[in-house]
Amino acid sequence: MPTDLAQSTSQPQQITCQSCGAKLVLGANMRSALCPYCASPSIVSRPPSTDRPNPAFLVGFVVDHDHATKTVRKWIAGSHMFARSDFKAAVPELTRGVYLPAYLYGAVAHTDYAADIGENYTETETYTTTDANGKRVTRTRIVTKTEWRSLRGNHSCYVVDVIVTASKGVTNTALDAIEPFDLRSLRRYSDSLIAGWLAEEPSRSPHECFQLAHDETVEQVRSMLSRFMPGDSYSNLQHRVELSQEVIDLVLLPVWSYAVRYADDRPPVQILVNGQTGRVGGKVPVSATKVTIAVVIGLILIGGLLLLMAGASQ
Amino acid sequence: MTNSVSDLSTHDGLVCSRCESPLEPGDLRCAICGQAAPVKDAAAPHTVTVTILRCTGCGAAVRYDPKHQAPMCPFCGEAVKVESIEDPLEQTEHYLPFTVTPEQARDTLREWLGSRGWFRPADLSASAQLLELKPLWWVAWMFDAEALISWTADSNAGAGRSSWAPHSGQNDVRFDDILVSASRGLSDHEVSAIRGGFDLSVLQDTPIGGGEDATLEHFDMHRSQARQYVSSAIERLAADRVQQHSIPGSVFRNVNVAVVVRKLVTHRISLPAYVLAYRYRNELYRVVICGQNQRLVIGTSPLSMPKVVFVVILAIVLIALFFAAAS
Repeated sequence: MPTDLAQSTSQPQQITCQSCGAKLVLGANMRSALCPYCASPSIVSRPPSTDRPNPAFLVGFVVDHDHATKTVRKWIAGSHMFARSDFKAAVPELTRGVYLPAYLYGAVAHTDYAADIGENYTETETYTTTDANGKRVTRTRIVTKTEWRSLRGNHSCYVVDVIVTASKGVTNTALDAIEPFDLRSLRRYSDSLIAGWLAEEPSRSPHECFQLAHDETVEQVRSMLSRFMPGDSYSNLQHRVELSQEVIDLVLLPVWSYAVRYADDRPPVQILVNGQTGRVGGKVPVSATKVTIAVVIGLILIGGLLLLMAGASQ
Repeated sequence: MTNSVSDLSTHDGLVCSRCESPLEPGDLRCAICGQAAPVKDAAAPHTVTVTILRCTGCGAAVRYDPKHQAPMCPFCGEAVKVESIEDPLEQTEHYLPFTVTPEQARDTLREWLGSRGWFRPADLSASAQLLELKPLWWVAWMFDAEALISWTADSNAGAGRSSWAPHSGQNDVRFDDILVSASRGLSDHEVSAIRGGFDLSVLQDTPIGGGEDATLEHFDMHRSQARQYVSSAIERLAADRVQQHSIPGSVFRNVNVAVVVRKLVTHRISLPAYVLAYRYRNELYRVVICGQNQRLVIGTSPLSMPKVVFVVILAIVLIALFFAAAS
């Protein structure tokens, strides 16, 4: 059903509810809307552009609202000992369950590397020492030494399933905290799979996301290389990664997003729940008072110990 | 019906555009390199459109339901059909025929029992009693692939003060008709003994030979699991291959490989074997004979206790004599 609306992609759009005829204003970054009058779920399909490709895949919600809220409560209550008390007692407010746009990236990585490889060997060494009777004696012992050899080579591998955020509302670090998603249950995108749910359009530029994916991939290759080195140890590992045959697809990921308001003078904390696995991620605000008290107690203990030791040695 | 390997058309012609491995029906992405499968109906809207999906039963708006992981009508409960995730159980595509008859297998067992060497009881061949001869089609994956293998390892070649020196390299390797066993009925040890006897160029669509009572083994893995299994087999084989052909030296440690697989074509096949059970003095023993080459036999057989005891005593006496002579 084509509408007579302006096709601008950055302005909020007015759409007509196909069920009750009400006029709705829809953010330019949203792909779906719920009519406030008749609760009908509308899905907006825009022509794809380079900045806004059509989603290729989707991971469906498995965790429902109640379950997600319970997990977040538990997570907040169980946060570490330096967390602010008012944060631990705060009630999470659901902002929304949303299909978050992300890019699924893959590439072939060719890497040149050079490193010094340490190969251990043992040697018998003679040394002189004084024995129990105060005489100087010569003894032998076995010592382990390392021989350093330089090694260069090439490493090639596929890097698949790198996921980076395409939404300005969620940083890549925040998304990393609730990964992994089980991509075996990836589905081909279809409008019916987001019916009744909010779905966002990508708001970061593909160029920016590509760079993020690139960096994450290079980091992955680096950790692969460190496991690839032979020998007993290595040092000076240098490498240059070249990524070729890159593929990138837009995927919608299920995310429950909560805001926790724990103090009037602080901005709320964003907590995300993986809508497929239930994994919770977010930054816990640290209580300055608790940290200070802990440091002071630590200092007092060390001071007391020193005093005791000083007393004992007199 | 007989096929040659080259004209098998089990996959519906779709090939990954990046690594050239065939895609299977239902694949959204290439299982090897992660490239998205081509979409047949890529109809993109040219204008902004707003739609509400309606239930075909009652006309209410349909919503995606996390409990059922499918779009459902909240009023009449009807689920909307969506493309489901395909992960079927693996199924045999081709059979290799039995070329060894049960009679030949029986004769082979007698011969094999007669050639077990000096330590076996002298009456083994005569008094062993054949209890069962079971034709079995065991299952395996057979694959062809090209692989770029990057490797590092320590070996004794070029070693200095340490007995190890590091080496690295990169090789293009072809894998042709490699069998990876999926059998639960045969042990890995038995499979590796008989795997060399099969003619993998003649594949058939139905089991031929083996008689009525042949056991047909089934795969008990889903496709996604099977792919992981085959991938890890490729990695193991790659490590073996570079140790045999590429790494200098004769002793190795820390063999690491990274593999870029291309053109991976996998077939699920059933292969013939005879499983025989015989009794000798109330003990049961098992023998497996390759169904296409009766010379490949593996199994267990009893040892003659008197002969073993005799040799041990003889050895002790000889050692004692040696020391006596030396002193």
